[in-house]
Amino acid sequence: MIGSRTPWAFVPRARREGAIDLLFVLPTLLILAVFLFYPLVYGVVLSVHDTKGFDLTNFVGLDHYARAIFGDAVFHRSLVNTVLFTGAAVVLQTGLGLLLAVLIADVKRGRTLFPIVFFAPFVLAPVAVGAVWKFLFAPYFGIVPAVGSALGFDTLTFAPLANADTALWAIMAAFLWRFAGFNMVVYLAAIRALPREYHESAVLEGASRFQQFRRITWPLLWPQTFTLVLLTTLGTLRIFDMVWIMTEGGPSHATDTVATDVYSTAFRFLQVGYAQAMAMILLFVILLLTVLEYRILDRRADSVRS
Amino acid sequence: MVLGVLAVIWLYPVVWTLTNAIKSSADIYRAPWDLPWPPAIGNIGEAWSRGQLGVALANSGYVTAMTVAIVLALSIAGAYSLTWLRPPHRAVLFILVLAPLIIPTEVLIVPLFSMFRALGLINSLPGLALTNVVPNVSFATVILTGYFRTIPRDVIDAARVDGAGRMEVLLRMVIPLARPGILAVAVLVAVFTWNDFGGSLVLIQKPDAFTVQLALSRFSTFYATDQGLTFAGMAIVILPPLLLFLVLQRGFIQGLTAGVVRR
Repeated sequence: MIGSRTPWAFVPRARREGAIDLLFVLPTLLILAVFLFYPLVYGVVLSVHDTKGFDLTNFVGLDHYARAIFGDAVFHRSLVNTVLFTGAAVVLQTGLGLLLAVLIADVKRGRTLFPIVFFAPFVLAPVAVGAVWKFLFAPYFGIVPAVGSALGFDTLTFAPLANADTALWAIMAAFLWRFAGFNMVVYLAAIRALPREYHESAVLEGASRFQQFRRITWPLLWPQTFTLVLLTTLGTLRIFDMVWIMTEGGPSHATDTVATDVYSTAFRFLQVGYAQAMAMILLFVILLLTVLEYRILDRRADSVRS
Repeated sequence: MVLGVLAVIWLYPVVWTLTNAIKSSADIYRAPWDLPWPPAIGNIGEAWSRGQLGVALANSGYVTAMTVAIVLALSIAGAYSLTWLRPPHRAVLFILVLAPLIIPTEVLIVPLFSMFRALGLINSLPGLALTNVVPNVSFATVILTGYFRTIPRDVIDAARVDGAGRMEVLLRMVIPLARPGILAVAVLVAVFTWNDFGGSLVLIQKPDAFTVQLALSRFSTFYATDQGLTFAGMAIVILPPLLLFLVLQRGFIQGLTAGVVRR
């Protein structure tokens, strides 16, 4: 995102000039220093201390980290859930977004209407989306059990959100509904900007539509896929709001994510230092997966380019 | 054809929410899929008064307006400096500004709460606005640097030759030329702030400082027996961003994709 072509408007310049230029970014840096970097440092301090209420008591070193990593089955569950959910979100959101974009790119009528319909859930509040999908999944009352039983399955009394095996994937459905449209608009903008000649010459050479997609569209959309995979990873590893509204991490931690686990550990059970150690582990996982993905995807991007 | 079916599925939950908002609870249970007839308009008024939505809407409006104003001021100045000025260590500055994209609020919510408690900022709406500024200023600066770069260099140089200073170039050239981008950023920040739940859940505890999201989250637990009321509350809370999006949809989507697609 950092461009290499930089328009240098003001030359020649002295050091003092550079300092004045810096003043324009300084307010942003100040806000970040107070509300991001200071809490980050204080978060590290919290995570290596025992706490009484929200006050620090004894220094305990890495004990909290050790307890979370080696001795906390609930934390293990929430970490696995978070990574699993993120992996599924990356694949499904990107896949569905791409599918929708390819379908919409082909339609004659509804070129502006379809993107609006699929993108609309993105602007809805997660609290409302969570609550609505809770109703949609409710036994007897909701449409998901109703449609299931209309199709001949015994689902009328089935409650996907109350079942430990299905709850996480029920949340995934709501999540996908809310976010697939975002991936779609990004892909669609890129598809509409692709040069026509590639596809035209492919048609002349007798390529099928699937071959065209595989050999032309997909490789050319790699920059978008790259960005969307990274953005979805960053946006999903932190997931809290929809899960909290729909299940509060239940039933019996089946849908706990690290963020919901941190919230209940800190604000319900008041194990503040310990909760922050879990939050720091999440931050570490975010950094690790982001760097890992970046390197893998970037290598792939190089091979596509050459 | 496939697309049409998918579109109906996609629209369905939204339409259902809006129609149930004007249905009596009895009707919702008896026939959840029928059209709302006769419409129970009373739901809306009752949700408004019993759920204290009036206060919550005012609170959310205040936090949103404040967040948008601060984010715009910071990100316009920042993006200007990072594109058309020459601050020292520009690459480092850029990385610092991007940090909130990698370090989410969820990871810092415990120390933030601790810090706000020490400063007496719990239940403070300006305090909530400032926490909302952090992630938003980051992506706003990214999107705006994209827009600012599209301004032809000649335009800026010409103004500079005529003796315009930094502020003059910013106010007379950059801001007017990037107006669509700035509008898109303002709308996006407004929607994200309006919809924020995690931050206000932790930092706001007094009911009279509740944001709409907090008020709404109380609905499904406090009025669990009165579904008509719950749906009315949801409709009131989702309508402002939805209408804003429908009116400005083109600029909205372009603003969002601009930051992502330009590579």
